[in-house]
Amino acid sequence: MADERKPSRSDAPGPDLSQERDHVLRTFSKGAQLTREFAEEYEALQRRLQEAQAENGRLRAAIEADDAIRDLIKKIEALEAEKRDLLSRYRRVEELTSDFDARFHEMENDFANLANLFVASSSLHSSLSPRAVTRRLKEVLEQLVGAEQFGVYLATHDGRALSPIALSGLGADGPSAEALAAGPVGDVARSGVARIDDEGDPSLGTFEKPAAVFPLQIDDNVVGVVAIFRSFGQKTRFSTVDFELFKLVGQHAAAALMSSGLYAQAERKLPGPEAFGDVSR
Amino acid sequence: MADFTCLVVEDSPMMRQLIVFALGRIKDLHVTEADDGVDGLRKLASARYDIILTDINMPIMDGLKLIQRVRTDSNHKDTPIIVITTEGGSADRDRALRLGANAYITKPIQAPKVIATVKELLKIG
Repeated sequence: MADERKPSRSDAPGPDLSQERDHVLRTFSKGAQLTREFAEEYEALQRRLQEAQAENGRLRAAIEADDAIRDLIKKIEALEAEKRDLLSRYRRVEELTSDFDARFHEMENDFANLANLFVASSSLHSSLSPRAVTRRLKEVLEQLVGAEQFGVYLATHDGRALSPIALSGLGADGPSAEALAAGPVGDVARSGVARIDDEGDPSLGTFEKPAAVFPLQIDDNVVGVVAIFRSFGQKTRFSTVDFELFKLVGQHAAAALMSSGLYAQAERKLPGPEAFGDVSR
Repeated sequence: MADFTCLVVEDSPMMRQLIVFALGRIKDLHVTEADDGVDGLRKLASARYDIILTDINMPIMDGLKLIQRVRTDSNHKDTPIIVITTEGGSADRDRALRLGANAYITKPIQAPKVIATVKELLKIG
């Protein structure tokens, strides 16, 4: 049988306790409410923290990328400077190469000119036969200078007239001895000063206005004249080596011609040591 | 670079000397000289040459006849020929080229031009 106990008077809370209980309940409820709010706040803070961390990560990555870009820019600048330096050095090397090429060509030309002079000189002096010397002189004038119409004249003993010893390209209508003596050829024979048209086209020269006339000289004595009236058509200008050849021929051909003439007059007898007896004194 | 052989046919000893001087600037080029066309043919019959330089006006056999003969010679029909002459007219040039010359240089010669032409025909740098 159930013990149905009626609440005794002592079981019922007194009015103060009831108030107290209500107060506790309210406080508890408030505490629970605060706890929920804290929990929510905490969760919100957690979310914000995660967001902040993510943002931080992004910012770090961006900063790192910026650093890498800065590094790259620095590297590009260094490479640009290196490229500029290399280009400048390349230009200097190119200038030097071009300089070297120019000097090389100049030296090759000088070498060719010297070869011309050497060949001309050795050719003129390699014979004591007047005929051979004259033939070689003609070869020099034709093949090295490019003379088409020319004459080699020796002065007579009295120096008043010129006598041709070699003519080339001159027909019967060539200049007479009188015309020669009265014109530029005679002038050069008298003065010993060469007359060379260094401005005009030598292939257009005439008897009256020869392309080049120069003296044949031994020491200061004019023994004859070379007159180049006209050059071959392909020879339209005298070059530096031609002027050197004129000087060389003027001196060497004169000596070669006179030596060969003396040798012929001596009946092709070579002089012995007695001919040079007093040269050592 | 392989060695090359060259025949210079020229009656003037002075010009031969000058041409040989110029060709001496080309490395490994060996030069043989001939006095005229007949001497040139004799030398061509006894050896093989990579290039021939010839004058036109020569005694006994001139350069044009030499070119004709070289072009019918099975050993040298394709050998490059350079004409070096005082004949500067276009008719002379055309005739030489028609007969089979590969290049035509007028005298007075410029050594650098001779060297450049030989190098070009031998295809050497």
